[in-house]
Amino acid sequence: MTEFDADKVAHIHRELHSHLPSESALRVKALETLLVEKGLVNSQTIDAWVEAYSEEIGPKRGARVVARAWIDEEFRRRLMQDAPAAIDELGYLGKATGHLKVVENTDSVHNLVVCTLCSCYPFSILGIAPAWYKAAAYRARAVRDPRGVLTEFGVELADGVEVRVWDSTAELRYLVLPQRPAGTDGMSEDELAALVTRNSMIGTDRDLNAG
Amino acid sequence: MDGIHDLGGKQGYGPIDVDDGGEPFHQNWEGREWGIAQCARTPGITIDWWRHCRELIMPEDYLGRPYFDSWAQTDFSTYLEAGWMTLAEIDAGKNLSGDPSPEPLPAMTVEQVLDEDRAHAFRFDAEIEVMPDYSVGQQIRAARHGHAGHTRLPQYVRGKLGVIHAYHGAHVFPDLSAQGEEVHQPLYSVMFAAAELWPEAAGSNDKVFLDLWESYLLEPRG
Repeated sequence: MTEFDADKVAHIHRELHSHLPSESALRVKALETLLVEKGLVNSQTIDAWVEAYSEEIGPKRGARVVARAWIDEEFRRRLMQDAPAAIDELGYLGKATGHLKVVENTDSVHNLVVCTLCSCYPFSILGIAPAWYKAAAYRARAVRDPRGVLTEFGVELADGVEVRVWDSTAELRYLVLPQRPAGTDGMSEDELAALVTRNSMIGTDRDLNAG
Repeated sequence: MDGIHDLGGKQGYGPIDVDDGGEPFHQNWEGREWGIAQCARTPGITIDWWRHCRELIMPEDYLGRPYFDSWAQTDFSTYLEAGWMTLAEIDAGKNLSGDPSPEPLPAMTVEQVLDEDRAHAFRFDAEIEVMPDYSVGQQIRAARHGHAGHTRLPQYVRGKLGVIHAYHGAHVFPDLSAQGEEVHQPLYSVMFAAAELWPEAAGSNDKVFLDLWESYLLEPRG
């Protein structure tokens, strides 16, 4: 069992640096091979996890949550108050959403989510995080230069809009509730969900297109 | 630890590659590693220990290697530390321990995995008898120093003044969880004015919110 020995792990990382093949695919193959050999993992279960997060679990879930909040004021209220319970109504409660918080964009507030210390992300409603979310440039700059970051994503903020950055330093995870675009009165939940981009739920997109 | 992982506010990383393509996995091996991390048996570790093992990756590897590659490296390190595998076994791709392998794990279907994902809505809070020291609206100062182990108090807020924005009850304290101890401590969302954090944000109305445990916080004059 683990001894939680950090010095030992630091030493192991140095050994692995010279020991493992340099290609990522070969490293992961070596890990899976040995775990299978030792009875610690089942390859078909890995297949199933890949399929689950490729086909079933992804940002379309978050988009459904947003669309429902737009058309159902009672749901929106429950979502703001107790997001895990609200997304559980849709069957979306799961990995890393046990302490979900929803932060709402308004005419005067724009929210942006980051994890500066690792790459925390609300998996069960947004799926696998985009590469940029996990990259050093985004993690370093989102808290210090959020407006510069937003400009690179093509987001223009009106004068007077305050930026609120949420750094996921604990087990709380954040979902941005973007504003419903004008000209969408009478649209169904399905039609509205199709307008919601993944980036708008992280905060690197703001003004959604009515289609 | 004041490691390479503590990236908030660091400069020189350049523009963001905003075009991700949108697919969850860009390479087959990324999906394999994601799957391994979800379902492999682990030697009694905590999420905070796993994060600390990732922070301990050599800086050039941490920054220079692909994201899911660092997950594989972290997994290797946790198994090696716990004695569940050896470097010789990694080289051979075989169990050389002489011990019988445990019962093979059953294969799970996508349906079963979706149920498992629902079961992974872990909570980290608990009822404790201790009352929180701080209340919403109160000014605090973030602790001035970290320590060599795992901590979730980023360098960029240390010593800075903030305001308690919300109280979330008592959550598992990561600094001790990374050593295998489960202790719950009051957790707050703390609001920091961008102008308090960054010289170039003088006059800005922007804000940065962090979720911080009580022992990361001091009285404003502290």
